[in-house]
Amino acid sequence: MRSRRWLVAALGAILFVFAGAASAQVSPLPPEKAFRFSARALDPHTVEARFSIADGYYLYRDKLRFTVEPAASGLAVPSLPSGRIKEDPFFGRVETYRGNVIVNLQLPGTAPGQKVIVQAESQGCADLGICYPPNIQRVTVPLPAAGSAPTRPDEIPRKQWFQ
Amino acid sequence: MRNKNWIWITAAGMLALAGGAALAVWDQTPRDAGPLMSLSLPDTSGQQQSLAQWKGKVVVVNFWATWCAPCREEMPGFVRDQRELGARGLQFVGIAVDQPDKVEQFAKELDLNYPALIGGYGAVELSKTLGNQLSALPFTIVIDRKGAVAATQLGPFKPGKLRATIDSLL
Repeated sequence: MRSRRWLVAALGAILFVFAGAASAQVSPLPPEKAFRFSARALDPHTVEARFSIADGYYLYRDKLRFTVEPAASGLAVPSLPSGRIKEDPFFGRVETYRGNVIVNLQLPGTAPGQKVIVQAESQGCADLGICYPPNIQRVTVPLPAAGSAPTRPDEIPRKQWFQ
Repeated sequence: MRNKNWIWITAAGMLALAGGAALAVWDQTPRDAGPLMSLSLPDTSGQQQSLAQWKGKVVVVNFWATWCAPCREEMPGFVRDQRELGARGLQFVGIAVDQPDKVEQFAKELDLNYPALIGGYGAVELSKTLGNQLSALPFTIVIDRKGAVAATQLGPFKPGKLRATIDSLL
């Protein structure tokens, strides 16, 4: 029986060593996971765009761009929330986002019940010392019919329901 | 019974070691720098520069951008290594994923003493074949005198690591 325990312990130790060796290498997230983009309709003329930024990653405020198709939706340049200010030795004052960024997109030209495609271009970096090239993500958002309740966010983590 | 257990433990240990060693070797297998070294890209003045002109030297190709703070932070070290080891056959080549005016401005600020070529996103795509799956920056490739990839690095080098790699190749 005692030798069995040693066997388990020895195998466990070996596994640990190799798991440790594997995790010691830097493995950054792909940009679409580091900067998760989602969008939902609040009413027939408003789409809420959201970036959920993973811990240890950040986006540049002045690199964030939204476009909506069809162009007749009439999106004006949206106002972006202010970010954290960082002094950059080359660019001067830059603003970055961490955590969640929520931007409301006003679409005066949409018809209730239609679908729009929201495209977000973003550029960010990771604290472990890498930056990603500009990344484009697209989400199709069905707009509610006139007078109906706003659609629920499609990505509520299950855990929240039990809290 | 006891003996048998030890056989299993030893076997499992040997297998794990062999696997680990194989992985390590696979990771360090020199990859072909041919496509990279046959690139020709414009410098900040618009002049085409072929990387082939530096064949026979130890070439360090660094993908960077001015909008990448960690890239800029490690570049003074590259300038120093180029100054100290250039005569022994070391050549840094920067490939900027950026606008030429921004690159020129930063190169002046830093007193860059090695070529800053303008790569665009196409050049970063090429770095994917050399292990940069995410097309992220900085990404650096060390090429030996025979044109084989000696090392690649995503993100900044740990202090002293690049210098040790270069020293072993010069």
